[in-house]
Amino acid sequence: MLIITRRPGEKIVLGDDITVTVMEVSGQTVRLGIDAPKSLPIYREEIWAAVKQENEAAARAGDMPALPKTAARDAPSRS
Amino acid sequence: MSLTIDSTRFGQIEVDPESVVEFPHGMIGFESRRFALVAREPDADFLWLHSLEDPALALPVTDPRRFFGAYEVELADEERERLGLPQLTATDIYVTVRASDQLEGFTANLRAPIVISAGQGHQVINQAAEAPLRAPLFGELAEAATNAAGRAA
Repeated sequence: MLIITRRPGEKIVLGDDITVTVMEVSGQTVRLGIDAPKSLPIYREEIWAAVKQENEAAARAGDMPALPKTAARDAPSRS
Repeated sequence: MSLTIDSTRFGQIEVDPESVVEFPHGMIGFESRRFALVAREPDADFLWLHSLEDPALALPVTDPRRFFGAYEVELADEERERLGLPQLTATDIYVTVRASDQLEGFTANLRAPIVISAGQGHQVINQAAEAPLRAPLFGELAEAATNAAGRAA
């Protein structure tokens, strides 16, 4: 892994069109500003990993069992 | 005219070209970009988001309003515009379903819903506070089973 030391206000450039700016450092927290092309999805890593896990788990379903037809309709809505 | 999928799960199935959804950014964890929203029967509770590129890839999804009446998706305007989406009220929203041996174990991913508009799909991160990754689809059934076991004991 490439490790680079930066100070608040300094930036890192990835390729030609991605810039990561260190906005603020406060205790254990670092605020980053990211400029990237619109086509590039950006996620917090823990959310990305959790969604990946859920997607893969969903895709492992062999077939959906026949549900009692009324199960969904009878389920009270959560309000 | 219809499209044919040689599905690992379902064998050869015909799908309506109108049900094709392009995911310009794919879905997290998968390389496929083109899917079809497949209903195995009319008014099915669960649909399948079936890849048109990988015959083995299909995810069960459902309309969250069938199970979670108060479900809402919150997306920052900036993110919505970045994705080129209209207001969310003008889109179709689905959530992926994690199946289980028993109904009580079925969950839906309310944190990362799939927003579909004009044939394009995006799996987005819902900013709403109450949007668990694994929301029990049949929570009331699970509670009822627990209560019944309690009474029987």
